[in-house]
Amino acid sequence: MCTSDQHKTVVSLKDVTFAYAESENGASIKNIDLDIAEGECVLLCGMSGCGKTTVTRLINGLIPHFYEGTLSGSVHVGDLDIPHIELYETAGVVGSVFQNPRSQFFTVDVTSEIAFGCENIGLPKETVLDRVDKAARELNVQKLLGRDLFELSGGEKQKVACASVSALEPKVLVLDEPSSNLDMTAIADLSDQIARWKSQGKTVVVDEHRLFYLKGLVDRVIYLRDGRIVDEMTWEELESFSDNERAALGLRVPDLTMLSRQIEQKYAQSGDRIHRNRNLRLDTSISAKGQVSLLGLSFSRDGGATKILDLQSLTLPRGKATAIIGPNGAGKTTFARCLCGIQRGARGVMWIDGTSYRRRARLKKCFQVMQDVNHQLFTESVEDEVLLSMDEPDEQQADAILDSLGLLELKDLHPLSLSGGQKQRCAIASALAARREVIIFDEPTSGLDRAHMQRVAENIQQLEEQGKTVLIITHDPEFILACCSYVAHIEGGSLAESYALDHEGYRRMLAFFMVKEKRAEINAMDQKHSPLSRPL
Amino acid sequence: MPQQILRGAVNNKGGITLDPRTKIFVAFILGVVLLTGGYNGGMAWARPTLTAIPLVLLLSVRKWGAAVGYSLAFLASYFAMTYLMPITSGPLNFLVMIVFGIFLQFLPCIMMFYFVFSTTTVSEFMAAMERMHLTDKITIPMSVMFRFFPTVNEEFGDINDAMRMRGISFGKGNLGAMIEYRLVPMMVCSVRIGEDLAAAALTRGLGAPVKRTNVCSVGFHIQDLIILAVCAACLVAFGEWYVSVHF
Repeated sequence: MCTSDQHKTVVSLKDVTFAYAESENGASIKNIDLDIAEGECVLLCGMSGCGKTTVTRLINGLIPHFYEGTLSGSVHVGDLDIPHIELYETAGVVGSVFQNPRSQFFTVDVTSEIAFGCENIGLPKETVLDRVDKAARELNVQKLLGRDLFELSGGEKQKVACASVSALEPKVLVLDEPSSNLDMTAIADLSDQIARWKSQGKTVVVDEHRLFYLKGLVDRVIYLRDGRIVDEMTWEELESFSDNERAALGLRVPDLTMLSRQIEQKYAQSGDRIHRNRNLRLDTSISAKGQVSLLGLSFSRDGGATKILDLQSLTLPRGKATAIIGPNGAGKTTFARCLCGIQRGARGVMWIDGTSYRRRARLKKCFQVMQDVNHQLFTESVEDEVLLSMDEPDEQQADAILDSLGLLELKDLHPLSLSGGQKQRCAIASALAARREVIIFDEPTSGLDRAHMQRVAENIQQLEEQGKTVLIITHDPEFILACCSYVAHIEGGSLAESYALDHEGYRRMLAFFMVKEKRAEINAMDQKHSPLSRPL
Repeated sequence: MPQQILRGAVNNKGGITLDPRTKIFVAFILGVVLLTGGYNGGMAWARPTLTAIPLVLLLSVRKWGAAVGYSLAFLASYFAMTYLMPITSGPLNFLVMIVFGIFLQFLPCIMMFYFVFSTTTVSEFMAAMERMHLTDKITIPMSVMFRFFPTVNEEFGDINDAMRMRGISFGKGNLGAMIEYRLVPMMVCSVRIGEDLAAAALTRGLGAPVKRTNVCSVGFHIQDLIILAVCAACLVAFGEWYVSVHF
């Protein structure tokens, strides 16, 4: 599959070594040699901090022009000497899509955003309008033209970002963890778009943790560790690793169907959660022990005209982790806000062991670990953060909580100086200190590699052991498999179904996430039938 | 409602479109004349005229809610000044005068700014600035504000939610803590978003030394001329008043 010998090399990194001026900003890389051929799709993978993002930044010129540091070696895209030309000269040749759809648009409306790049390089007005039109059609976002970007979902924003890059018609596309904040449908759309770019002969470089959506697109896999390229393989070789081998490499599953094999294996072991979940059956009566019942949880906007959430009744196992799944915009976030009591005007009651909790009472009973955990760390040290949550500050108890989460040595550090995972644990610690019983996570594994995902799963198991009821909004089936026992599937603001994650439940959950696979199946069927159905 | 403030009003379909330069000019005149002018002479009609301009403009773009809110708030302050002032005395009288007096002066300006920010897109703004031959060095940072305010607003909402969840909305009674708990995460998030934003914009050629294209066409129309004429008349009245007072 390695086509670099036969074809023209487009991207060429020769003996590149780079260290960030601010070392915390990212991992340094050492002696990177990488040639990428025209039309090739290359995946950069490895654990967090392995330097794959740094490689993408070298190609799009953000290094050394935006992120400063010491650079040696040469970086070429075509004839362009990237480190020695200005960023705007690279702009028309290399297009970049980033991780966070929220923070990569510059204007406030879709049309201006798609036109933005073309306007910057001073293309004639008619050309810009043509390109906007073409890019909008290509990404299927014509309906969004003229809309307010702040009102779009994450998936829609990411499509607009792709369209904006596409409008510049670059030769090379660099995607930096583009799927991190997307739901499964949006990921399948992203996968289709990468396929389209490939078919247009563009070179695609993507660095990612989630791999499954790249199946069938990637020509070559580059594996990095500690800033060096340590392995190069084909997709088939990547797929041939056993689960243990992948765990050692810190890689996520390259194909979701592998998870169904894992389910069968786990089911065979009688001690596993899947086996235990066989007997997880919930009562519908609100006074039943061992469960958390939510009745009439609802919220509407515009004086009742627009129903955002309308859950008649949902019963969850107490002291276990439940995954909240559903497409973006289904009302999962509103559900979490209503449950924690921060959504003003929310209706409904939570029942635990015959005690009812209305909205204000839930503010003291529930806690949400937000997706952007930076929003909920307020004090100057990790220990203060925990003490702040206690009614009666008790240092001994605070230390015990920190110890249980592996944060004890960090207790004097500023919470905002911690790594992402540590910050998340710091927020969990404050929830434990406030003796919250229901803890809700909003996409805790977005953008995490396998080891960090596993660590979050361990934290959640630990919470279960302490008798906490955990709810997790997530688009990550691998993570659900690692720690959840129950599923509540929300669609269109109401409960579509809820089920225990036993043998059958896991398969049902997995089927929900296989959007790309389903699409491929439908396409295959269409192709099979089309010659017959089409008259000659 | 606050979510909509300071966000490019790209959803404004229909209604009268004004050139961004007109809007900015009107906002400027409104500020100068209403905040520094008196009540006598020509100002007797210039003041109500200028006060009515934001209302007319809001109605012209069918922002009914804002128009009604503006009218009610203005009338309430006006009646409070007229009827409460004579019947109160001492510190209370002073308080009524300060609160409602300031409100009456500032409200038209605030609504005008709301109108400017909620009906101007970044493209329109940049196109207009370019017509005025301002350099990119000034217009780009200014255009970032359109993007920045709604973002800060979003962040602030999230931080407030987090504080309510922790039960520390009021900083456990400590005013300093109340502010600090909001500002620190806010600054950290804003810096990070700002960095992401800059990186994304630079990879799409922002700052290239070529003449930037703008797909947005701006220009003066009859509605601009009418409103500018009204403002000019008010400005003349203001000038007259100013001369009569100071010389």
